[in-house]
Amino acid sequence: MRLAVIGAGQAACTLIAELVRGDFAGTILVFNGEGTHPYQRPPLSKTPLEQSLALDKTRLLPAKLAEDPRIQWIDAAVQSITPETGEVRTASDGVTVDHIILATGTRAVRPEIDGLDPNMLHVMRTWDDRIRLETAMQHARHVAIVGAGFMAFELAASLSGNDRTIHILARGSRALPQVSAESALFLTARSQAIVLTDCSVSSYDRATSTLHTSQGPVTADCIIATVGTTPNVELLLAHGLADPDGVPVDPLMQTPHPRVSAIGEVCRHMHPSIGRTARIESISEANDTATTLAKRLLGTPTPFQAIPWFWSDQGEHKLQIAGLSERSDKATVLQADDRRHVVARHHNGRVTSIEAINAATEFMAARRLFEQGAIPLDPLLDSGSVMALLQSSKS
Amino acid sequence: MPHILFIDSNEAEIEAPFTSGDTLLHAAQHAGVEGILAECGGGCSCATCHVMLNTSWDGQLDPPSDQEADMLTFAVEPTPHSRLACQVILTDAHDGLRVQVAKRQY
Ligand SMILES: Cc1cc2nc3c(=O)[nH]c(=O)nc-3n(C[C@H](O)[C@H](O)[C@H](O)COP(=O)(O)OP(=O)(O)OC[C@H]3O[C@@H](n4cnc5c(N)ncnc54)[C@H](O)[C@@H]3O)c2cc1C
Ligand code: FES
Repeated sequence: MRLAVIGAGQAACTLIAELVRGDFAGTILVFNGEGTHPYQRPPLSKTPLEQSLALDKTRLLPAKLAEDPRIQWIDAAVQSITPETGEVRTASDGVTVDHIILATGTRAVRPEIDGLDPNMLHVMRTWDDRIRLETAMQHARHVAIVGAGFMAFELAASLSGNDRTIHILARGSRALPQVSAESALFLTARSQAIVLTDCSVSSYDRATSTLHTSQGPVTADCIIATVGTTPNVELLLAHGLADPDGVPVDPLMQTPHPRVSAIGEVCRHMHPSIGRTARIESISEANDTATTLAKRLLGTPTPFQAIPWFWSDQGEHKLQIAGLSERSDKATVLQADDRRHVVARHHNGRVTSIEAINAATEFMAARRLFEQGAIPLDPLLDSGSVMALLQSSKS
Repeated sequence: MPHILFIDSNEAEIEAPFTSGDTLLHAAQHAGVEGILAECGGGCSCATCHVMLNTSWDGQLDPPSDQEADMLTFAVEPTPHSRLACQVILTDAHDGLRVQVAKRQY
């Protein structure tokens, strides 16, 4: 069997590693659209920008694995595919394969800001983005981060020092809308950034280094946008196998076309643990969709059943989330002191996620409990901690 | 170049050279040591880079942080010598350290 893997990011590399470990009998053509060897994205926003990050230290595939004779690396972006024939085309070449795997991830949204040269706007998605920002930081004194999600606060922590002012501009009424208001408050209170809420950007004046916003002028000689991503679905759109919000796949990562599968944050599928279809941007999702597909390709198909989890380092504070909540889910604080902060999100008496800050045992206990099935809220509130509930469930 | 001696999940002994400042995880992956999954790539959030240090090295490494110690309680059958390979930063003083990779990461 000849496979074409399009993209060489987190999901693609986990798939390749699992196929090699599982003694896959076939050839894997990997199309790497970036000019570097595959690397991890999380350190891009977490490593202080004063330090130059070494590409070699963030390698995704150990060199030995990458050199496996079954793998053929093709350093080119794919321009089109033909599912009916299995043809995959780059600008200069075309190959025919038995199965096509889309692992193209997402790209950063680049908002247009009146008066701002698009070349001056930073985003953080790729190795090149990181190098550009490291260079810009040699001179930047006033940084404005547009968007107020995890990445904004990670970057703020990585930028602080050197007497820089850092503004985070939140469009909505609060920062970090992905977590409960309680967790968001804990984290924003510990960030060095000045957070402006209900803040939309109208224009930039280069002569005075001023960003004009609905909350007044903000001095900025460096502007970073962290306002979201767009899934890289273009190769499949023309074939009716994708829509602008991703590639729908079944629990074995198969699209409706028998020759095409999709993995990683470009795909959308049913998550049995949360009872709904979702496209999730996280390392766990990339790894778990990849291992699900690897099992299928190795002849032991097992439907996707993993529990979503996530982490984010905000300076010295580590946020870890087990499960996945809707923004409207309720929040109950389980533990709160100067350092540890644990929140249960819930809906209709069932826990949908645990947000643990500097509380790794609560996070891991929640993952174990979710693996055993639903977590009812009342017994958790009675136990006072996820760990205690896990221990009582064992005895 | 200083090196670490890994005994991987296949019981193979592998000499892994390293430079001061590398993590134990980086040294292992670079040398092709089997049995470390490292799902989170060093984020101290998965506990699938579990290794055990040779007992004679007790006290010669910085002890685990609270975060690492917490994560380790969820590793498969942790011992008092367990560490997360991604959290151990190597210096020249660690030349010759023997490290056993956990039999299972799940
Ligand atoms: C700065 C940053 C920090 C993050 N931190 C965390 C974190 O702390 N925790 C967490 O859980 N998640 C984190 N994430 C999210 C996580 O990195 C992603 O969810 C994960 O990388 C998704 O994997 P993927 O393989 O689907 O996509 P990617 O890793 O993005 O890989 C897709 C690859 O496909 C390539 N490609 C696209 N189109 C083509 C084409 N036509 N031809 C060839 N190649 C193509 C792209 O260039 C890219 O290299 C972070 C992301 C970023 C950007
Ligand atoms: S790699 Fe995940 S905890 Fe070490």
